[in-house]
Amino acid sequence: MPITIAPGRRPRREAGTAWLFISPAVLIILGLSIVPVVWSLLLSFQANDLVTPSRWVGLDNYNALVQDPKFGQAVRNTLVYTALYVPLSIVLGLALALVLNQRIRLVGLYRTLMFVPFVVSATAQGVLFSFILDPEFGAANSLLHRIGLSSQGFLTDPGQALLVLVGITLWSGTGFCVVVYLAALQEVPPSLVEAARLDGAGRWQVLRHVVLPALRPITVFLLLWQVIQSLQVFDLVYVTTKGGPLGSTTVIVYFVWEQAFKTFTAGYGAAAAYVLAAALLIIALAVRIVRRQGVAR
Amino acid sequence: MLNRRDLFRGTLGLAAGAALTSCGDGDAANGGPVTINFWHGQTDTAVLVIEDLVQDFERNNPNIKVDMGGGVLADAMLQKVLAALAAGSYPDVAYIFGSDLANIARSPKVVDLTDLVEGTGADYWPSVREAVTINGKVRAAPALVDSLAVVCNKEVFSKAGVDLPQEGWRWRDFVETAKALTDESAGVFGTGWPGVGDEDTVWRLWPLVWDAGGDIIASSGSGIGFADAGVKALQVIQDLARDKSVYIDPKSGSEQMYQVFLSGRMGMVPTGPWELPDITDAGVDYHVVPLPTFSGHAVTISGPDTWTMFDNGPARVDAARTFVSWLIAPEQDVRWALGAGSLPLSKQSESSPEWRKYAAETPGLSDFAEALEHARVRPVHPAYPEISQALGQAIAAVLLGRSSPEDAMRACADESNSALRIPR
Amino acid sequence: MTMTAKVERPPSRPAPPDSPRRSARRLPFSPWHLLLVPLALLFAIPLIWLLISSVMTNAEINRFPPPLWPKGIDLGGYAYVFGHSMFPRWFANSLIVSVVAVAANLLFGVLAGYAFARLRFFGSRVLLVLMLVTMAIPFQLTMIPTFIVMRQLGLIDTLGALIVPSLVTPFAVFLMRQFFLSLPRELEEAAWIDGCSTFGVLFRIVLPLSKPALATVAVLTFLTTWNDLTWPLIAINHDTQYTLPLGLTTFQGLHRTNWAAVMAGNVVTVVPVLIAFLGAQKTFIQSVTASGLKA
Repeated sequence: MPITIAPGRRPRREAGTAWLFISPAVLIILGLSIVPVVWSLLLSFQANDLVTPSRWVGLDNYNALVQDPKFGQAVRNTLVYTALYVPLSIVLGLALALVLNQRIRLVGLYRTLMFVPFVVSATAQGVLFSFILDPEFGAANSLLHRIGLSSQGFLTDPGQALLVLVGITLWSGTGFCVVVYLAALQEVPPSLVEAARLDGAGRWQVLRHVVLPALRPITVFLLLWQVIQSLQVFDLVYVTTKGGPLGSTTVIVYFVWEQAFKTFTAGYGAAAAYVLAAALLIIALAVRIVRRQGVAR
Repeated sequence: MLNRRDLFRGTLGLAAGAALTSCGDGDAANGGPVTINFWHGQTDTAVLVIEDLVQDFERNNPNIKVDMGGGVLADAMLQKVLAALAAGSYPDVAYIFGSDLANIARSPKVVDLTDLVEGTGADYWPSVREAVTINGKVRAAPALVDSLAVVCNKEVFSKAGVDLPQEGWRWRDFVETAKALTDESAGVFGTGWPGVGDEDTVWRLWPLVWDAGGDIIASSGSGIGFADAGVKALQVIQDLARDKSVYIDPKSGSEQMYQVFLSGRMGMVPTGPWELPDITDAGVDYHVVPLPTFSGHAVTISGPDTWTMFDNGPARVDAARTFVSWLIAPEQDVRWALGAGSLPLSKQSESSPEWRKYAAETPGLSDFAEALEHARVRPVHPAYPEISQALGQAIAAVLLGRSSPEDAMRACADESNSALRIPR
Repeated sequence: MTMTAKVERPPSRPAPPDSPRRSARRLPFSPWHLLLVPLALLFAIPLIWLLISSVMTNAEINRFPPPLWPKGIDLGGYAYVFGHSMFPRWFANSLIVSVVAVAANLLFGVLAGYAFARLRFFGSRVLLVLMLVTMAIPFQLTMIPTFIVMRQLGLIDTLGALIVPSLVTPFAVFLMRQFFLSLPRELEEAAWIDGCSTFGVLFRIVLPLSKPALATVAVLTFLTTWNDLTWPLIAINHDTQYTLPLGLTTFQGLHRTNWAAVMAGNVVTVVPVLIAFLGAQKTFIQSVTASGLKA
């Protein structure tokens, strides 16, 4: 909070400036989102196939969702995926960013190459991994053979497919965390680092007590952002497994898409999307409550 | 449908006088040419054929302009059409997959084309007619038709010392041949099947189901008609999986399976005429044979796609009708079949000299065309996508060895029947 | 690079946290290379594979398992891509949309991010949460009502339909806010005391320190708009208005795909971005004076 030097004068001027600053962003983001959010909400209370006139069914869609084993599976898959991907990507991202934040030769090239998976289109990635992970002809299994392990089903094995998808996403999504952390590391005040060193702190202590706390706002951002992104994963599933095998990689958003565009029950899909949204809201509230308690302590 | 206008007045509150009306409506009133939007869904070489055809049409019909925008791949067309229908800004003619037609055609904006299809005077194949007819009414015009047959790689057969199959062979012959062709050490498979559980996984099984006496939807309409036939069909799959003679394509789109065939690592593959150009390009010496059967009676499946027409006002509907009836007439149909890799839609096109010559130059093509006489199509029913999904899971489960045909079929029947019970 | 025995650094800049000063004396290169080279290769696999398959013939690519090395260099794919009459138009469209989106995101994101980070005003918490909440409904659903909105604005089938929704995103606002929060307040407060206006503080003090953050928002916004396929697919009808990814899908047929052209197209889509990224590495490193405080 900025220091109020002239009591009464600053806050009012500040509020005016503040509103001026945020108005374009708020207008565009909220303005363009109101209709979709309301439309989707209303859709979730209808039996609507987007083609014929719809009819209102109240909470029927939500009731059906609760009893639908496929939706339960989608929820479980999404949660597992998120719980694995988010912490791993952030930890790996931070580790790699720390390594790349040094003055060694070719560091710019390394950074660019690590960014490559992020830049290549999802379709190209889908083709690439289908080749590498093919159970019969893929490079992954031939590698395993050479080490002496047995062939794996990877994306054709209902028990492995989701984990494999987590791996693929880590490969392509870590670059994002690396880039964000790299930018954040530039802002760690060198004076603080220097001071800690002069006080005799070793590398780990500098990390724990100077760098990590300075990175906290960015880590909060990455946590929230990665959670939202992984709860909404779709493209990867679409270009590889299409929700299979046997529904083991059907995630919530894929479930929503199928309801809208394959089985023509868009209202049902909208209800599923709102369940997801409600879950996100609950998570966000929980995080804020925890943080408030942390601050109060 | 949500009342869009109320929603906007209430929430947007934008002055938005910029609400443009859909373009081209008023042209006919002025006596100028009518423009129709044609979302043809073709790409690559097929687009050139369409462009040619459209140019010819416009030359002979100066009052009608055909706007060929919307060249997005037909795969993505459904999402686009749904969004367009929801927003009230839809094309005049769009390329709709046969399997989506049942649901799209429920829209009140789809134009009834019964008289149009009769009016061209062409004798369309029964499967083609069936694919566009819902409850006795023709709801779209046929655009493209194909059929399923087995293509064999002669080299793989001769290396394994197996005779090429002939018409009239049975499914147990197929299983045995696949087993004989499989060479695990060399990485060669007898045959292949998509393993993702999507429509391509499922539609290949219907000829077996039909031949075994089943029907996709029972005549009463209240349940599936293939509870028993399905088990028999899945047993063939189980045999293939147990013999490890089938390459299970892990990637959606089935391209990988064909690529394995093109590399000479697969002996035979059920496919359609669209694959022949690639097979020729890859230098594979091939032989086409109709699908095997249980009973000895030829049956295969055809997956027609359609030109669906939407109502944008009487002037545009008129123009669209003129265009579409011209497009599916035999003379144009032959050009389309030659250029885009479709099979001829009607007996007239099939017996035309241009087609006969083209078929003579491409070995095996006439086998696909002849199979059309015994081809059946998937029912045009709104619950079909859910039935297909359920069966896809069943096939995938049996392919992966995770379930027996009986159990898989029971699960599929449960799901499909509950989908059929939903009122639509 | 003159000195090889010691990690180089300019005299005014203190060493970053983990520089291996001592061990570098023993080896002519930093030991980190041993870790970074295999990692970089791992990450670079798709690019290598794209490049290799873009110079194969269609017949070669259409094999499975695909050959790992082309028989010769066949530029047919590139000829198809560049020879395609619409290609320059698609490239230009993509460039326009992405550049405008980046500029707008930087401007509006910085303004809003700073306000949320440093200024007190009624409803700041609520608004921020609301903006994040708008991301909770997946795009697969919101694309239809967004299409309806764009149609009412008359923007369908124009680049406007692609630009307007991406002018500002919650991502840009949120990221800039977090970055600004992590900046030490002393600099800004010094400027306040000197009587500088909020605007002045933002532009003269905070922004020059935020180059890495700005570069991050720029790069990531550019990438999302550059690679976006689903929304242009829904919103654009005519191929004169296609963006690059959408145009490239026309190389795929219903059953056949012109793979060489698709791969070449992917290379053409990816490589300029990577080159620009490589060139912009300097912005990811900024120079901060040791004292930190400037007059």
